[in-house]
Amino acid sequence: MIDHTTATVGERRELISFRVNQQEYCVDIMAVREIRGWSPATSLPQSPNYMRGVINLRGAVLPIMDLSSRLGLGSAEPTVRHVIIVVKVQERMMGLLVDAVSDILSITDDLVQPTPDVACDRVRSFVRGIISLEGRMISEISLDRLLPEREALAA
Amino acid sequence: MDELEAIKVTFFQECEELLADLEGGLLAMQDGSSDGETVNAVFRAVHSIKGGAGAFGLDPLVRFAHVFETLLDGVRSGEVAAAPDLVALLLRASDVLADHVSAARGMGDVDEALSASMAAELEAWQSGGAAPAPAASAPSDDDDFDLASSVPAELDDMDFGFTPMTVVVDEAPAEADAPSGWLVVIQPKSDLYRKANESLLLIRELERLGSIETSFNDDAMPDLADMDPEASYLTFTVKLTTDKSEADVREVFEFVDGDCDLTITPLSGGEAPIAAAAMVEPEPDVEAESDSSVDIAALISAATSAPVAAPVATAPPPPVAMTPAAAAAVAAKPTAMAAPPKAPVETPGPGSSVIRVDPERIDRLIDLVSELVINQAMIAQRVAEHGIPQSSNLAIGLDELEQLTREIQDSVMAIRAQPVKSVFQRMPRLVREVASMVGKQVRLVMEGEGTEVDKTVIERLSDPITHMLRNAIDHGLEMPDERREVGKPVEGVIKLHALHRGGRIVIEVTDDGRGINRPKVQQIAVDKGLIAPDLTLTDEEIDNLIFLPGFSTADKVSDVSGRGVGMDVVRRSVQALGGRISISSRPGQGSTFTLSLPLTLAVLDGMVVEVADQTLVVPLAAIVESLRPKPEEVRALGPTGAVLAVRDSFVPLVDIGSTMGYRANAPDPTEGVVLLVESEDGSKAALVADNIQGQRQVVIKSLEANYQQVEGVAAATILGDGRVALILDVDAVINLRRREAPAPKPTEPMIAAE
Repeated sequence: MIDHTTATVGERRELISFRVNQQEYCVDIMAVREIRGWSPATSLPQSPNYMRGVINLRGAVLPIMDLSSRLGLGSAEPTVRHVIIVVKVQERMMGLLVDAVSDILSITDDLVQPTPDVACDRVRSFVRGIISLEGRMISEISLDRLLPEREALAA
Repeated sequence: MDELEAIKVTFFQECEELLADLEGGLLAMQDGSSDGETVNAVFRAVHSIKGGAGAFGLDPLVRFAHVFETLLDGVRSGEVAAAPDLVALLLRASDVLADHVSAARGMGDVDEALSASMAAELEAWQSGGAAPAPAASAPSDDDDFDLASSVPAELDDMDFGFTPMTVVVDEAPAEADAPSGWLVVIQPKSDLYRKANESLLLIRELERLGSIETSFNDDAMPDLADMDPEASYLTFTVKLTTDKSEADVREVFEFVDGDCDLTITPLSGGEAPIAAAAMVEPEPDVEAESDSSVDIAALISAATSAPVAAPVATAPPPPVAMTPAAAAAVAAKPTAMAAPPKAPVETPGPGSSVIRVDPERIDRLIDLVSELVINQAMIAQRVAEHGIPQSSNLAIGLDELEQLTREIQDSVMAIRAQPVKSVFQRMPRLVREVASMVGKQVRLVMEGEGTEVDKTVIERLSDPITHMLRNAIDHGLEMPDERREVGKPVEGVIKLHALHRGGRIVIEVTDDGRGINRPKVQQIAVDKGLIAPDLTLTDEEIDNLIFLPGFSTADKVSDVSGRGVGMDVVRRSVQALGGRISISSRPGQGSTFTLSLPLTLAVLDGMVVEVADQTLVVPLAAIVESLRPKPEEVRALGPTGAVLAVRDSFVPLVDIGSTMGYRANAPDPTEGVVLLVESEDGSKAALVADNIQGQRQVVIKSLEANYQQVEGVAAATILGDGRVALILDVDAVINLRRREAPAPKPTEPMIAAE
């Protein structure tokens, strides 16, 4: 569990970085509600293949998105070592299946570079910007855009 | 300004209740019970609405209520006879009053002409029926009411603004009449503390009997040097306001008998407690103790002027132990005085014992409790997995936990339970309006209004009931002439009945009309191409044709029915709630529509099945029966389709696993289990599952809260092992199947049903 109340407000932002299929991504810590281990999900029929299904989060039904599949990196093969990052997007809770959580970054916005003009539209729509830190390249994910298209239209 | 708005909101809430009371009272009068209390209640309702409206300057409402009230006052005093015609007029007037209230609330308009003519009618009845305003009428024996009723006559030409005050005045006597209680002087002897007693505990005990004011006297306190820390020096005086008898008060001191000197004197009643205490007279009955009585009186005034914990200035009263006889004489009087004020307590005003709670808080509580239930089931399952014997302490403790959680769940569900009265009370008006529109005479009889259902269900009951009632009046009942011809009373009777049956609420709407015209119904269905012309149907099947989409028995579209809402829509909305609607009819004698709904939408009875390693829940309401098909019952139809022969009819087989996309190919149905289900349009299907785990009540969890609607899935739930299971949307599954492999003829399953 991450204590997000310590996140600084103002110039400096805190981000949680994690690994998805050898690449490093991050999301704003304020959106993260908790981090938990992988548990088998109940699959959802008639759903996009990046939706792994739903799990029971203390009584609430939590949809789990395979971030690797969503980003076009191929489906993950979840093991007990995989991690679910529970995030709140708008008024909804969602679990992101990732390989592992790496660390907490404290950055200022000037460290965020615009997403390079890469060919893949999907990456450009999901990635807000890229952070260069100690030789690592960490892409910041725009959570709003991760939601399935149908819902994004409805919202 | 905001505060005023808040009060206004409360006023309108009260208006709702008052209007319901008004209508209830008038209906009771219509049924012949025009006793004083009913008429009083009716009068009071209108009067209270007028009073509140006056305070908010709602002039049109006040004007109408005033005319209404004046006539009711005449009825109340017996100047105007409560004839049936009058009651009918009053009922119509109550509808207009309700319109006025809605308009004042900013919801809807008042038909000015109707209002004016109604007011004129009321006034005409008043002047025609009796001498005007009986201000000096014989006092009612109901004190509570009398105060209110004496006001309006004098108020007639005044500003209505202060009328609400009458309510306050109304209640005031109850307070003023409160019994005073007892003055208890406790002077502990030194031994009291040595015997491990405590005067504080005694005073606390007294507090349980009523409200107390306590003071103490420390005159006996020696210098610090002389003080014995274990002795007692203080004298306590407790003014106890209660309606309990002296014996009750004495009982508190049962265990300290002899360890303290005790004086119990009655406080006089009839006036506000403080004033009463200050002016208390020495009790004349207690002749022998007149000396001490004076002291006590002095003490009382001291106690009053220097309340709680302030030292009393006067000398400590000589300890007086009353003789039993004197005590009894003293006790008798206050007890007699104490009795009457009890009555108002037993009949609290509307809403006085009701807490208004934000529904969200209750929903949260219900969520938490269902989590608790799931968690408890999870623990039970884990324990069972470890092979712990049933007789072990752990297993017994778990059983107890299970019982407790069940009880908590039931109690929490009961919080949201409300009597169906809130829906029923709107119906008399609807019936009156519809009846007058179609020119029929109708009497509505309602039963079981106290039947309780979860709020979520109540909110959705209104539409189906409204529709069933409209139908019963418009289609069910004959015209008055027609009824006379067949020897029925001209007035048709419609019965609206709510009851609990087998964990569900059942709403029945019964009319004594002509019943369903079966040949006509069947002909219409044929004409509209809904059924094959040569089909032989049972009576029951014909009755159920009216639920088919696009069906209407009305020859022409009338104002009442034919609003584009057919029984099929009603049926669908009922089924969306996990309910069923059925009809039974006897020609010439009438029809009964029966609505059966779950008591709550938070839990659902389901059949837990396994399909392709997935666990699914099928709502029990949709399941007709479950069976293991024999090879000869399964017939192939077309390249991929298959049907199941069930008692001479053929039902399409639908494999849940492949329809939901869990597996590519449907397995052999004879190796699995088949659930015969009925969909909302009445068509049947045979759903194939691998295995049935059993029947269970499951807590419904929303999938849409965090995700979105999924086709074929009604909702989700959490099973005992903590995993999420999906609840199947039976209709959607059948439709999904149809889309992929269209059934031979769209209408065929409907007819092949039986």
